[in-house]
Amino acid sequence: MPPRLRASRFSSAVVARSPTQPQSTSQPARVSREFSQTSCQQTTLRRRKFYEWLNGPGSALREPIPGSTNYLGAYDRYGNLVRAGPGWSRKSPTEPEPEKQLDEETSVNEPSPEKSGEEKLEGQETIDELEMSVRREEESKKKTKTDESDKLPPETAQDLQPFPLNKWFRSQPVLSEELREAIYQRVHKGGATVSLASVEFGVSNERVGAVVRLKQMEKEWIAQGKTLALPYARAVLGMLPTTPHVDTSRPGNRSKRPITHEAINDLIVHPATRQQLFVPVAESRKFTREDAGKAFDNQLLPADARIPHPELIQAERELASGLSFEERKRLATERIAQEQAKKTKEEEARQADLRAQKRVPQRRWDFVFKDVSVDSVGRNGRDPRGVGWRYGFPHEDRKKGQVKIPTKVEA
Amino acid sequence: MRKKPRFHSLKKLKVRQDWSRWSLYSISQLKAPDLVRRTYFQQKWTAKSDTRAYHGEQIREKKWRRMFKRNLPAVVPMDHKYLARYDGSEQAAGRGAGVDANEDKRAPLATPYMQMAYFPIERRLDTAIFRSLFASSVRQARQFCVHGLVRVNGKKMPYPGYMLNPGDMFQVEPSSVMFATGARKTRTSTGRRIAKEKATERGTALSQTGQTPPPPTQALPQQPIREEPTPTELKKHLQSLMHDVEDVLIADVKAKDKQKFRAFRQTVRKAISLWRTANPETISTLDTQLAFLKTQVAKASAAAASTPSSPSSTSDDDPAGPLMSPDDQEKLKSAFEKLRFESQHASAWNAKDARLPYATPWRPRDYMAAFAFIPRYLEVNQNICAAVYLRHPVARPGLAEVPTPFHQETGQLAFNWYLRRR
Repeated sequence: MPPRLRASRFSSAVVARSPTQPQSTSQPARVSREFSQTSCQQTTLRRRKFYEWLNGPGSALREPIPGSTNYLGAYDRYGNLVRAGPGWSRKSPTEPEPEKQLDEETSVNEPSPEKSGEEKLEGQETIDELEMSVRREEESKKKTKTDESDKLPPETAQDLQPFPLNKWFRSQPVLSEELREAIYQRVHKGGATVSLASVEFGVSNERVGAVVRLKQMEKEWIAQGKTLALPYARAVLGMLPTTPHVDTSRPGNRSKRPITHEAINDLIVHPATRQQLFVPVAESRKFTREDAGKAFDNQLLPADARIPHPELIQAERELASGLSFEERKRLATERIAQEQAKKTKEEEARQADLRAQKRVPQRRWDFVFKDVSVDSVGRNGRDPRGVGWRYGFPHEDRKKGQVKIPTKVEA
Repeated sequence: MRKKPRFHSLKKLKVRQDWSRWSLYSISQLKAPDLVRRTYFQQKWTAKSDTRAYHGEQIREKKWRRMFKRNLPAVVPMDHKYLARYDGSEQAAGRGAGVDANEDKRAPLATPYMQMAYFPIERRLDTAIFRSLFASSVRQARQFCVHGLVRVNGKKMPYPGYMLNPGDMFQVEPSSVMFATGARKTRTSTGRRIAKEKATERGTALSQTGQTPPPPTQALPQQPIREEPTPTELKKHLQSLMHDVEDVLIADVKAKDKQKFRAFRQTVRKAISLWRTANPETISTLDTQLAFLKTQVAKASAAAASTPSSPSSTSDDDPAGPLMSPDDQEKLKSAFEKLRFESQHASAWNAKDARLPYATPWRPRDYMAAFAFIPRYLEVNQNICAAVYLRHPVARPGLAEVPTPFHQETGQLAFNWYLRRR
């Protein structure tokens, strides 16, 4: 009697292989029993093709390329890396690779905004010319430093597509370790507001807040002596495109500008503006953005008020009106002070509200007494803000099928 | 009973949300939908079935239909300089008079709304964990939640279907993340047998020697009396040392580059053994090695400088002064720093440990790099395995933030399926 075939035959064969050795495709020809529930154990055409692809074009994707991304979009049908020069060859893992540079800026790979003519479509952030020139300069420096043939050129937009069929999605750079540290230091030690740091580093407001929060937690972990996932972090950041940190305070970087990570002035498309409108307007009339907003929806504010950084517009206007530097600085500090005062006032009001509540501490939970009003149930008595049991409005929260997943968690 | 269909089937290729080679193969075999030979309903059905196999395959269809939203979020990046300079009236001014007739404007980039059909699923906790590269599949991320390894804003969240709100921070247990993303441990029967044999050997040895294993008392061998190294010898050794220093400096702290560090250690040991005052037991730590090398080299160079008539300094190369230039010393110092970091890294963070459920020292699992991307609506700190859900995913000109492997036509067909007008 022949030995029984195990169901995990394939996986066990694959697990035990070394990275260089191709995965096995050899399967004994075996007639599957009729009326059997066991799936076909023969090497089918599909399976053969699968392993052919895996050992051929797919074998390049198994291990990451050191110092670069390794996505499916960077390869052609035959598994050749498109952007690689003729002299470039993938180093085998046993042989040491001398391509990692220690220089801080050059070791961090950055995506190149260079695109061929047909790839123009991909660029979604408005990278202005100065930015482009800075990046190109760094690239050229890199190129002159090492000879071209055996060095991998920086990724194009197509190389950053993990899904070759979806050209509308690509792997966008993440913040590098140094940039995160710099943002944290700027906000935490330098005392910059979130919006100021956002403008300085070219990182959106929310991301600045998140970076500071996460960094704070990381520092706490280090202070507590917890084990960080360092090997994981190093490996992941090596696989992803990252935005490097250009430290302008260093003497070598005087002429450079920090590289913008993302667009910071994103305007959310308001649902009211999704429709097409034909509004007849007299030619003599000055029809501004504000009027256009009103035409769509009476509540709709103009873009100037809805973008995350309206203070930049104000600063630009002051610059255009020809005010002196001191004057502009004074106005900016005034604005910041006003904003701060408003914020502190709001915070105080919130704290006062909290203090007004009566609180009875218990072992696990506190009793909190709040003022309620019977009118909050609304006219028809069905408003969810209403309290207590109401006639004709059953409590269903203990019933089967009711969703009990919380909708928010207080930070 | 009908057999359950395979999760990864080669007969029906479906892309799944995981980092397996099956998914990679399916992505590579994807094609744009056939829009000619099939009816509209067939096209929509296929598109729906393919996309649903990837997006929220663990969610029941009815649940997803309730989550579906026909309003897709989008943003437009604004230029504050333009907003400051113009109030928008210049776009309409003189249009009736034909001012803009011969003006050729570049068409703005299209916003790929149709790739955003599954954006509500990206809000789910399990999907977000998968997208921030903390789990190798959505099913695994789901398991992490259910097993209580996930915290949202510091509180345990056992529901994988929790819809994240903008600003929510979620964190996963780092050991689980390392397990999920690390290479798998090879568990072979031979490995198990060897481990068992070793354990029994140790046990028998311990029982034979009694309760106290004797301390390793070895008589220190008589140190052979060596001469002080001649300057040429010294120079040669220093050259080889500096060569190794270069190697170490370009090396990365990884398992592959271990041999460089090892070679560097060897040469350092050799260089130290040149001097007869050196004793490998006393000079064992990195700090003492560095200090010893420095003082000895300084002494030697000083001695050579004081005796310029030494026999070896006949040729044009000058062994006296720059036995080690200042920047060479700098390099040596940084190489030692790196060596120390490497040893710490290996011992504390990435040590070989048979008890851990993944292959140690840790390395990423196969094919991880092909799936490694972090969408912009997440901000991830890999060191503590925590991430913040910044905002809902949006479409912007030329880019959709929902990672989907399908063609735009497929996305459009799937979106149309859920509009319920079929």
